Amino acid sequence: MTPVSSKLYTVPTIFPQVLAFLNSILLLNQLNQVVVIATGYNSCDYVFDSASQNQNQRAERLLQNLEEFIDKDESLCREDSVKGPGFSLLSGSLSMALCYIQKVFRSGPLHPQPRVSLNIGITIISIGGVHRMKCYFGGFWGQEICEILCLHGSPDGPGQYVAVMNSIFSAQRSMVPIDSCVIGAQHSAFLQQASYITGGVYLKPQHLDGLLQCLLTVFATDLHSRSFLLLPKPAGVDFRASCFCHKRTIDMGYICSVCLSIFCEHQKKCSTCGSIFGQAQTQDTSMPDRKGKAPMV
Amino acid sequence: MPQVKIVARNFMDMVASLPAMKLDKLYENSFICEAILRSLPPLAKKYVLQLLYIDGPVVATWLEEWVLADGVSKHRVAIDRLIQLRVLTENLERKKEATYRFNPTFQRNLQNHIAQGGILPREPMPSNITVRLPSLEDLDAYAVEQWEFFLLHLISSTEAEKSTNISSSMMKVFQRGLLSQKDDKEPPRLTESGFQFLVRLMDTNAQLWYIVREYISNCEERGLDTADLISFLLELSFHVTGEAYNSNTLTDVQRNIIKDLADLGLVKLQQGRKESWFIPTKLVTNLSISLADSSSRKQGFVVVETNFRVYAYSQSKLHCEILRLFSRIEYQLPNLIVGAINKESLYKAFQNGISAEQIISFLQQNAHPRVTERIPSVPENVTDQMRLWESDLNRVEMTPAHLYDEFPSRDVFDSACDFAREYGGLLWENSKKMRIVVKAEIFTQMKEFLRSHKQ
Repeated sequence: MTPVSSKLYTVPTIFPQVLAFLNSILLLNQLNQVVVIATGYNSCDYVFDSASQNQNQRAERLLQNLEEFIDKDESLCREDSVKGPGFSLLSGSLSMALCYIQKVFRSGPLHPQPRVSLNIGITIISIGGVHRMKCYFGGFWGQEICEILCLHGSPDGPGQYVAVMNSIFSAQRSMVPIDSCVIGAQHSAFLQQASYITGGVYLKPQHLDGLLQCLLTVFATDLHSRSFLLLPKPAGVDFRASCFCHKRTIDMGYICSVCLSIFCEHQKKCSTCGSIFGQAQTQDTSMPDRKGKAPMV
Repeated sequence: MPQVKIVARNFMDMVASLPAMKLDKLYENSFICEAILRSLPPLAKKYVLQLLYIDGPVVATWLEEWVLADGVSKHRVAIDRLIQLRVLTENLERKKEATYRFNPTFQRNLQNHIAQGGILPREPMPSNITVRLPSLEDLDAYAVEQWEFFLLHLISSTEAEKSTNISSSMMKVFQRGLLSQKDDKEPPRLTESGFQFLVRLMDTNAQLWYIVREYISNCEERGLDTADLISFLLELSFHVTGEAYNSNTLTDVQRNIIKDLADLGLVKLQQGRKESWFIPTKLVTNLSISLADSSSRKQGFVVVETNFRVYAYSQSKLHCEILRLFSRIEYQLPNLIVGAINKESLYKAFQNGISAEQIISFLQQNAHPRVTERIPSVPENVTDQMRLWESDLNRVEMTPAHLYDEFPSRDVFDSACDFAREYGGLLWENSKKMRIVVKAEIFTQMKEFLRSHKQ
């Protein structure tokens, strides 16, 4: 765990680096494709698709769409200001990325395109975080090889635990590795798990000034080459779950033996599947359904 | 005449073999840099990106320590390729580690590209000019037709009905290495590499690069600058398919080249009222893709049955000609060619230097989707029989050898036997008559050995 620099990184400092990274992905293969999805507090949206846009105004278009998106998201923020700034909608953008990937997968054989191992990328940019920190979340996928990279700066929203985990498992099922590059202050347990489960790379660069070099060195590597390269390995993965009842991140809790729902305190009835639980044998050494957790990283 | 090997990658070898001065000049064009980068093996691409923003020399171990033990060979291939193309230059200083330095022109061009995004080489025709442009489907059909017609013309000029605009001397250039003509009366025959060209034939991109390579070397003989030609071709591949570009943006030399390219189906020329336009087809825009990994393949169309019948669902004359190389065509329906593989037809193929393995791989690669589901896609009895017929022709194996006799003593004979055996060159020995037959490969070693024993 490295001490976090107090400097805040905002869109103008990170944008050129991310753009350069997108350009380099597009440069590598003519068939590569990049899509950018922005994630805010209240919404997420596609802001860029290299397949449908003229390459000459790539940067301008992306920046313009991004600004529009931020304005829209902030106006949504004001409308229901009860909650205030919360957490960026990681689960939403992940689902959107996976939907896009599925669309590409399913339409794949119909395309008369040659079967070349290529990476097409989606990049999802998320804006969020308690300190108004700008966060990015990105992904790459190919017609046959799909890959998601997350550039993420917001703290995890424990409330999204179930949705994020579902996205991770569907990514795993469709063989889409999720890479994570955390540019925020804290490690992200969600993304650690996402990369761990899907076989991607998790990295939290120490200095964001060299973000581009880090992106080019680690995340621009194609999946095939990864098998014989030494890429950064996580020091440990935070496997802690959030409970379904209060959305708290917990070390130890109760789980339903029928549907595996997680609760932080004893319930009479499972809120997910409706199973009736027996009496808890409290304060005993034999706590029922105790769930051990890996130590925090 | 140099032996032709049909490998798509060879084109980049040709670029790599250009003199350093020319290569450096070539890199001043950013499209070349882009195309070169795309042609690299994946690991080399990664290294380029990794080193892109690093000025000054980089110690070799800095790259090596990223590689796991089983990737070392791939690492070597990638680095060698980069050095060959002069993207990296290697400095070996005495007692110091090797360092790599990025080609500054190449580096600057790629940096610009990454920072600003790609730029189109030419502005397409403005949309306010109302000229009817062919639809993408029409353009594809045009390209395929033009290309197949060219290939057909290439294998058998008699079959092609209308003559191409490609001059016969140019055609000769393309044909050399692919066809061999024993004397003028006989029609030219396909050589082994010619068949390979056709077998891989379903991979249009690989063929295209082969032809383009021949075209370039031919232009070199005519005194054109190879570097100009290569840069123009690669630049063309960055145009957008289906958009029309004004011909007056081209130089005179380029205008001549583009006429030849139109005959190959790479571009379509369109004459407007005042100006003429050229429209790149899929073939040319795919050029820079195919350099890297040309695994693109058209859908298969051949069904082989256990009774040695071959059904090819194709309307293409070219396919018919290919099948005719090793089977007897029985009848042709509008969308179906029916043939039979028999001993005579195969012997004809073997005589032309086509091997059974090549034919089998052709049949397998182009198997109809319906039969690709079953394994093997070509019935085993057919493939086995084809191999048997081939081995029938090769009952005698020839090994060049030397006979040694009249050894001065049994000792010398025995030691000579042992020596030859050690080198794996002893073919036959008769200890009574003291004669041995030794492979010609180790003749020189044998000579020295015997001379040393004489003394």
